[in-house]
Amino acid sequence: MKIGTRHRRQERIDRGIKVRTDGLYALMSWRELSYLVAPRLLLIGGLLLLPLVVPGMYWQRVISIVCIYALLALSFDFLAHYVGLVSLGGAFFVGVGGYLTALLNTELGASPLVAIPTAAILGGVICTILLLPCLPLRGVYFAIVTLMYPLFLARVIEALNILGGTDGIMGIDSFPYVWLEQYGIIIMLLLILFGLRRLVNTDLGLVMRAVKDNDQAVKASGMNITHYKALAVFIASSVGCLAGAYLVHTYMWAGISIFALDFSILPIAATVIGGGGTLVGPVLGCLILVPISELLRDFGTLRIVFYSLILLGFIVFRSEGLMIYGQRKYHQFERWTDI
Amino acid sequence: MEILIYGTINSVALALYALGFALVYGICRLPNFAHGALYVLSGFIAWTVINTLNANLLVAVVVSLVVTGIIGAIIYRLFLIRVRGMEISEIIASYAIALAILEGLRWGGFRGMTYTLPVFIEGSITIGGISVDYQRILVVVVGAALVAFLWLFTHYTRVGLALKGMAQDERAALMLGIDSDFMAVVAMGMGSMLAAFAAVLLLPLGNIVVESGYNVLILAIAVCIVGGLGSWMGAVLAAFLIGFAQILTVVYLGAHYQMMVALLAIILTLILKPSGLFGQQKELEERV
Amino acid sequence: MKTTHGKLMMILLIALLMGLSSGSAMAEKPIVIGCPLATAFLYGWDAERGVTLAIEEINAQGGVDVDGKKRPFKIEVIDTRDLEPGVPVSEALLAVEKLILDKKADFLIGGPVRSEAALAAMPLLSKYKKVSILTTGVLTPKYHAMVAENYDKYKYCFRIHGEAKNLVGEIFTNFGDLKAKYGFNNLFIIAQDVSHARGAAEIIKKVATGKGWNVTGLEIYPTGATDFSMGLLKAKKTNTQIINIWMDMPESAILLKQWYDMQIPALPFGSTLAAAEQPGFWKATDGKGEFTLCNVVNAGNAPSNATPWTMKFYDAYTKRWDVEPEGLGTSSSYMAVYVLKDAIERAGSLNPDKVVAALEKTDIMGVYGRLRFDPKSHQVIPSTDPKEGAVGSILQWQKGKRVVVYPKSIAMGEIQLPPWMKK
Repeated sequence: MKIGTRHRRQERIDRGIKVRTDGLYALMSWRELSYLVAPRLLLIGGLLLLPLVVPGMYWQRVISIVCIYALLALSFDFLAHYVGLVSLGGAFFVGVGGYLTALLNTELGASPLVAIPTAAILGGVICTILLLPCLPLRGVYFAIVTLMYPLFLARVIEALNILGGTDGIMGIDSFPYVWLEQYGIIIMLLLILFGLRRLVNTDLGLVMRAVKDNDQAVKASGMNITHYKALAVFIASSVGCLAGAYLVHTYMWAGISIFALDFSILPIAATVIGGGGTLVGPVLGCLILVPISELLRDFGTLRIVFYSLILLGFIVFRSEGLMIYGQRKYHQFERWTDI
Repeated sequence: MEILIYGTINSVALALYALGFALVYGICRLPNFAHGALYVLSGFIAWTVINTLNANLLVAVVVSLVVTGIIGAIIYRLFLIRVRGMEISEIIASYAIALAILEGLRWGGFRGMTYTLPVFIEGSITIGGISVDYQRILVVVVGAALVAFLWLFTHYTRVGLALKGMAQDERAALMLGIDSDFMAVVAMGMGSMLAAFAAVLLLPLGNIVVESGYNVLILAIAVCIVGGLGSWMGAVLAAFLIGFAQILTVVYLGAHYQMMVALLAIILTLILKPSGLFGQQKELEERV
Repeated sequence: MKTTHGKLMMILLIALLMGLSSGSAMAEKPIVIGCPLATAFLYGWDAERGVTLAIEEINAQGGVDVDGKKRPFKIEVIDTRDLEPGVPVSEALLAVEKLILDKKADFLIGGPVRSEAALAAMPLLSKYKKVSILTTGVLTPKYHAMVAENYDKYKYCFRIHGEAKNLVGEIFTNFGDLKAKYGFNNLFIIAQDVSHARGAAEIIKKVATGKGWNVTGLEIYPTGATDFSMGLLKAKKTNTQIINIWMDMPESAILLKQWYDMQIPALPFGSTLAAAEQPGFWKATDGKGEFTLCNVVNAGNAPSNATPWTMKFYDAYTKRWDVEPEGLGTSSSYMAVYVLKDAIERAGSLNPDKVVAALEKTDIMGVYGRLRFDPKSHQVIPSTDPKEGAVGSILQWQKGKRVVVYPKSIAMGEIQLPPWMKK
C-alpha cells in the first residue's frame, strides 16, 4: 500500500521471546519458562478450579457436560486433523460406550469405577471392528458412513427391541463420591488432551500425520495404512466411549436417544470454532459453546438458530478457529515495514 | 399389480427428492446438506402465499419455485462459494445453514401438523382394480417429464451444455470461457428449484412439518450414493432400486424395516462399491 | 451544589424505601412452577397453554393461600426439545435440573414429554425431592408401575392424565359397541415405530384375539415413511372394517388422506392420533379427515358437558388462545395447577413431603370429572362416570367439527360410518 511516496507492507514476525525459548534455551530464565508454561498452566488451573467457582450445582453439571463434549471433540479433531479421517459419527462412540457400561453395570454388577474404563476399551475395540470395512474409503464417503452408523444402530435396537428397546436401560448406579463425579472427568480430559498432544509428536503420530498428508506415499514406503488407521480409530473411539460411559453414569440412564445427532454435531462445531488441528481448540470450543447454549435456553429454539449461524460464520469467514488465531497472536506480532 | 403401481410412485418420489442434490453435487461438487431445508422452506412459502395472500395454487407454486431458487443461489453466492473445494467445510457450512433455516422456521411458529398444500387435481381413478389418486399419477407424470426436460436441457441448450461441461472437467470448461463461479450459482439455483418442485408435488399428499427436512435429506443422500455421486441418471436408477426395495420390504417383510432399507443401502454401497452404480470417480480416488 | 446533591439523595432514598415497603406488601414471593416441555410440539405447547391459563386465573383471584399468606404462582418454561428425534434425553434431564437448581422451581408440572425422558427423570426428582405432576405425553404404564414398586423413592411423581391401559380399555368398549351394532369383526392395526405405540399395538392384538376379533394385520411404520398404500390395500383386501391407528407423527396426515382417496371401507379409529386432535386438522386434510376417530385422553380437550367446569374451561381457553383446546394435555395441565393449589392450601406449606401427603388425599370435581390419585401409584383414577373419576374422551370428526362420541355419559353424538361403507 502506498503512503505518500513510500511503499509499505505488513509483515508477521515471531516474537523475541518465542525465539529465545526455542529448544534448550527455554531453561535460561524464569521469564522464558513462564512464557511457555503459562498458557498450559492457565488451562489446567482453570479447568480444575472451575467446579469450585461456578454458582451452584446446575453449573457444575454443565461443566461435566462440557467435558463430555470436549472428549468427543478431541476424538473428532484427532481423527480429522491428524489422521485425515473425518468422522461425523461421534454419537456412534457415545452410544456404544454408554450401552456397554450400562450392560456391565446392570448385568454384571460392576461398579462405575470398573465399568467405565472397561467400557471405554471394549467400546474402542467394537467400534474399530465395525468401522474396519469403511477404513479404506476416502474423504466424503467415510464421513457419510460414520454419519449413518448411529442412525442405523438406533433403528436396529428399536426394531429388534434388544437392550431395553425404546425404554432404555434404567437403574444404573451413580458415582460413589460427588467429587469423583465432578473431578474424575476433568482429570481424564486433561490427561487425554496432553497425552494426545504427546502422541502426535512420537513416531507413531508421525506416521499418522503422513497418512493424512499423502497416503499413497506411506503405502509406497511399505507400511500398512489400514493398520495405522485402525489404531487411530481405536484411540479416538475409546475416548468417545469413555465420554459416553461417563454420561450414562452421570444420568443413571441409557437409551436409544444416546445415538442422537447432537453428539455428532456439537463436537464438530466446537472444533471449528475453537480451532482444528490444535487439540486444545476443541476443548476451548466446548467451553464456549455449551455454556452459551445453556444460557440461551430461555430463548427456546432460537438458541439453535444462533449457534448454527455462529458455526456458519466461523467456518466461512474465520475457519482457522479461535485457538490458532490466539496462538498466532501469542507467538507472533505484526508490523508495517517499508518495501 | 399394486406393487408395480405404488413402487413406481415411490421410486419417482425418491427420484424427485434426489434430483436437486445430484445436480448440485454433479456440477459444483458440493454436497448440499441444506437440500432438505430448502424443500421444507419452499413448502412453507407456498403455504404462506396461498393462505396469507389468498392466491390460487398455480401462483403459489410459481412464486415458491422462483423464491426458493433465488434463496438457494444467494446462499451459495454469499456463503458456500467461500468454502468451495474444502469438502468437510462445505458439509458443515451447508448443514449449519440447514439447521438455521429449519429451526428458524420452527421458532417462527411453523409447528404442529396443521400446514398442508392443496392437491392439483382431486379424485382418484382405478387402474387394474387398484385405486390411485390423481395427485400421485401427476407425480409420476411430472417426474418423468422433469427428468426428460433435464436431459434435453443438458444436451441441447447452451447453459445446459455449459453445466455439463463443468461437471465433466472444470479446468477445460474454464479454458473454453465458461465462468465456473456463475455456472455454479446457476446450478445451485436450479438444484433449489428442483427441491421446490419436489415439495409442491409431494407435500399435498401429507402435511408440511419441519422434521421432514431431515428425512428428505437422508433419502436424497441414500439415492445419490447408491446411484453414484455426480451422475443424475444413476440417481434416477438408484431411486427405482431403493423405491421398489422399500415397497417389497413392506409387502413381504413388514413396514417396520423401510427406513432401514435406505440406511442399509448406503452402508452396503459404500463398503462394496463406493462410487455407486454410475459413479464418475475412479477406483483409485475412492479407496486407498 | 452540596444541598442539591443531598436533596437528590434524600429523594432517592425515600423513593427506594417506599418502593421496598409497597413491594413487600403487594407481591409475596411467588411459588415457582417449573415446566420442562417440548414447546415446539403439540404435546408441549398444549401443556404450556393449559398451565399459563390456570395460573393467570388463580393469580387474578389472589393466589394460593399458604398458611395464611396469599402467594401468586409463577411459571418457568424450559424447552426440553425431547420430542425431536435428534436430541438425546440428557438434554431434557439437563432442562429439569436447570429448573430445579437454577430457576429454583418449587414444583414441576407438565413433562418431560417423552416417556423415555420422564422415566429417566424419576431418579432426579427423588434426588432433589421435588413434587412433579405429569400432564401431557408420557403414556407408558411403566411410570406409575415404578412409583408403586418403589414408593419411598419415587413418591414425588404424580400423573394426572390417562395412560395407555385406560386408552386400550376405552377402545375395546367402542369396538364392542360397533361389533354389536354393525357386526364388525375384522381389525387391522397400524402403529408408529415408537415404544408406546408398538407396545400398545401388541396389547390390542392380544386382547382383540382374545375377544374373538379377527386381526387381519399389524403394521409398524417408521418415522419418515411416506406411503401407506400397501398397508391400506392389505386392509381392503381382507375386508377389514376397523383400522386402529396409534400414530402421533405428522405422517399420519398422509395415511388419512390416502385412506380417503382410496375409499378404503374401514373406519379409521385412532388412539393418540395427534394430528386429528387439533382443530386445524379439518383444513389441513382438506376435509379428507372426516370420520376419523381419535382419543383425546381426558374430557375438556374436546367439547362436552362432563362437569359444569368443562365448557367453562373450554370457552376460557378458546378466548385466551384464539384456538380451541387441542392435544391431550390441555385440560390435564390446567387441572394440575388447580389440584396443586388445593393440595398446598390443605398442607399449609410448600414442604414436598407434606404436599405429597395432601395430593394423595385430593378429591375435587375438575374439568374432566372427579379427580383423585391412587395412593400407591399416584396415577389419577379413571372412570366412565364423571362423578366417580377422571373421564376420557373419544371424538369423531363429523362435518368439520369434533364430536365427542364416548363415554356415553358425556357423548354429544354417535359414531358415523363413511358413505362408502354403508352397503
